[in-house]
Amino acid sequence: MNATSHGASAQPNMTGSMMTGPMMTGPMMTGPMMSRRGLFRSAGGVAALGGVAWAGKYLQPEAYSLAEFPDPDLYLAGTDGWMYLPRTPAIAPFHPDVLAPDPFTTYIFGFRNVTGMTDAQKLGQKNKAQHSAPLFWVDQYDPASPRDFRVQITNLGLELRPDLFDAHTLHWHGFRNVIPFFDGEPSGSVSVPSGRNFTYVYRPREPGTYMYHCHVEDVEHVHMGMTGLVFVRPIQDGQNIGGYTKFMYNDGDGSTGFDREFSMFLSEVWAEAHWADAHIQLPEWSDYRADFSMLNGRVYPDTVAPNGSIDPFNPIYDGSGDLLPPPGRPELQYQPLSSLVNCNSGERVALRFANLGFREVAMTLGGLRMRVHGRDATHLRGRDGTDVSYETETLNIGPGESYDVIFTAPAHSGTGDYDTYLIYNRAYQRANNLAGGGFGGAATEIRVYPSGVAAQQYPNDWGI
Amino acid sequence: MNRSGRALALTVDSRHKVLAMACCLLLALALAVNVQVERADSAPPPKVGIVCTEGSGGVAGQPVFNLTTRTGYISLPDGNTAFMWGYSSGFDGFQHPGPVLCVNEGDTVTVILHNTLLGQATSIAFPGQDSVLADGVPAAPETNGSGRVTSLTTSAAAAGGTVTYSFVADRPGTFLYQSGTDPETQIRMGLFGALIVRPTAGTDHVYDRADSQFTPNEEFMVLLSEIDPYQHQAVEAGKTFNMNNYHPRYWLINGRGFPDSIADNGADWLPTQPYGALAQVHEFNNTDHPQPGLARYLNVGTEDYPFHPHGNNGRVIGRDGNPLEGTGGEDLSFEKFSINIGPGQTWDVLFKWYDAEDYDPVGNPVPVTVPGLANSVIGTFYSGSPYLGTQETLPAGTPTLNQCGEFYIISHNHALHQITSWGTNMTGPITYMRIDPPQPNTCG
Repeated sequence: MNATSHGASAQPNMTGSMMTGPMMTGPMMTGPMMSRRGLFRSAGGVAALGGVAWAGKYLQPEAYSLAEFPDPDLYLAGTDGWMYLPRTPAIAPFHPDVLAPDPFTTYIFGFRNVTGMTDAQKLGQKNKAQHSAPLFWVDQYDPASPRDFRVQITNLGLELRPDLFDAHTLHWHGFRNVIPFFDGEPSGSVSVPSGRNFTYVYRPREPGTYMYHCHVEDVEHVHMGMTGLVFVRPIQDGQNIGGYTKFMYNDGDGSTGFDREFSMFLSEVWAEAHWADAHIQLPEWSDYRADFSMLNGRVYPDTVAPNGSIDPFNPIYDGSGDLLPPPGRPELQYQPLSSLVNCNSGERVALRFANLGFREVAMTLGGLRMRVHGRDATHLRGRDGTDVSYETETLNIGPGESYDVIFTAPAHSGTGDYDTYLIYNRAYQRANNLAGGGFGGAATEIRVYPSGVAAQQYPNDWGI
Repeated sequence: MNRSGRALALTVDSRHKVLAMACCLLLALALAVNVQVERADSAPPPKVGIVCTEGSGGVAGQPVFNLTTRTGYISLPDGNTAFMWGYSSGFDGFQHPGPVLCVNEGDTVTVILHNTLLGQATSIAFPGQDSVLADGVPAAPETNGSGRVTSLTTSAAAAGGTVTYSFVADRPGTFLYQSGTDPETQIRMGLFGALIVRPTAGTDHVYDRADSQFTPNEEFMVLLSEIDPYQHQAVEAGKTFNMNNYHPRYWLINGRGFPDSIADNGADWLPTQPYGALAQVHEFNNTDHPQPGLARYLNVGTEDYPFHPHGNNGRVIGRDGNPLEGTGGEDLSFEKFSINIGPGQTWDVLFKWYDAEDYDPVGNPVPVTVPGLANSVIGTFYSGSPYLGTQETLPAGTPTLNQCGEFYIISHNHALHQITSWGTNMTGPITYMRIDPPQPNTCG
């Protein structure tokens, strides 16, 4: 503290109470509320503070418009929690973690969707993180009817590691031409300490598939699970082009149109690192290995278990704000996103892959060709419009990469209710849940029905 | 940076120096002492951007480079040092990585390799160059008496051998040069560097395509590598190393790990690691800054490195010295936010950054309540303000490296266990795009 340099500029309207946690929650951030508090403080503050030198300018809110900003479109909370991975074979002493409350196995950091919750509900989500982070999507920014997309985040702290006072951020990975303030990279801007809030404002101008994650202590917070998928719908959505009304890109010709769509978010668990965070240890990251490769936060066959609450804009939670487990699967309470692809013969199905594991994957769709229309939120067309999309059965997806693909469901040919095709990681050593002979990891099923699968209400909706 | 004068001057006493060096190196190997040869640079290198080593020889279109193998040490972010081998420019002391050789399309390039390594024949392979000659005849793999390959190309004998390579640089682009002898040891020990072939279209183009133009003072190198310290320790001790046990613990960008990676070129506390990786640019705009910057990526490691520049997508316009174009000249380039570059590959990537929303503290403020700085954890590079060119008073005692309200936007390897240094997290292949405020500014 430098008394001389700040004494002169000491402002009357600050008090020590600025530092307390609960006051920093949501309503604090809105203009009118803040101005009322400011007035209150300035009334009592002059006498109370006098010449306290450390009351510098920095302890007030920055100068800002008193205009009331809209409520956030999404409100996410960063915290710790527990999730489930197959208990056998065990990786002693790391997996399953002896500290894990039944029925869970693995300590995580993660985000939760607390949009619309009461303060009590929101604060109650500490130690109830989910993985993967809530899937969400945004319409491409339309200058003709401009609308900001606002994501507020808060930091609920880490229940199991109160010794860690880690901040959190939201880094929208791949967002072009963003200012550091909204990039969520903590060394170039600011991050959000426990009990505080920050609102990121986005005007997404480029459709495609992205990902988001906390960028604080990047290696740790990403690996511990603060990762998810976000995509941007193109501005041509809603028009009928080539018989479709939903598209991956502004193609102008319907080539990226689809009937249904699925997030395929890739992440990994190195059991030792997760155990180490729970047990106040530090892993040696250069020993990294992916014990579990996950798809939408689960390993096969859990990937084909039902969805929990996954529509980010209509979240469902119990009276305490907690997530409801998928039917019959209490251990998947904090892994709500299913990867099962149900579709009807002849439909075009969009798959949005993004990888925030640390290893390249080789996602293979056995028996069906995918057309790659986009990579890294870029429509595969040259600057002169040349079509550079291509067909493949295997996508080699590196860490931080995304792929937008479409396949056409073939005619139903089997004798059962549906035909099954598999999506799996061709890197088999990471596709078996460590079990001898058992298929697992980042894998899921595509079930092609003759007809009868209903239209999706939201991405990854089963339609059944 | 033009070094032609120095290289010429040094040829006169080269033989004595090689002899002297050989003696010194014997001593050095025995005592594990690093030998430094006084550098004779006349002008300091540019603080940021590619430091080109130009050929000598004095004949236009026929550049000559002398490269000498040296041993030395580099500093790593966790405080360790690593014993290395390297190519040095002319007869300079050890440096890592080797000098960036810059030539022009169509040049007949001569590279004279002087091998001072004891007990190690060595060579230089030029992937991407055709019809390379060695001492006037086609360079070729070498075999032992039983026909087994011992070197991928013509080698220079240990302790004083030389070989003269020449080739016509007939394709513009970014290339590696690297040891072709016992490469799993010699490349890992540091015998590699970058070769840039500038196109006929000009030094502000990557290729001869008009759409490969870039801003000349915004040209950067991203040379990615890795180190297993046990391998280097074994080599230094003259012991064998089983490559089945190879396990990198360090990952580097331009031969440095963060935070050294953002220090200036030629920073004096990194005497053997001359190349910085900070990408200092100005905001792109269509009127007075209409061309993008250029990043030349090279991977000399053993696996794909997914390098992720925040805040802008790179446009990949060429790989391995081949422009991404169709047979009819169609543009096959593509944008990427994860530059997933494979071992031995080079990618040429145009990039630009501008504030898409043109936020301004007066006319167009960020549409959000900016929380007080006391309610935030403040980043080391943050100005205290969301706006380019604006600085705010930071809470007393908050360290900052921000100079003039410039922006810092990170770039890093997204295989995140590789941005560590044997236990020291948030190091390794990390650098920043530094965006300076428009002129006039106070950046100095």
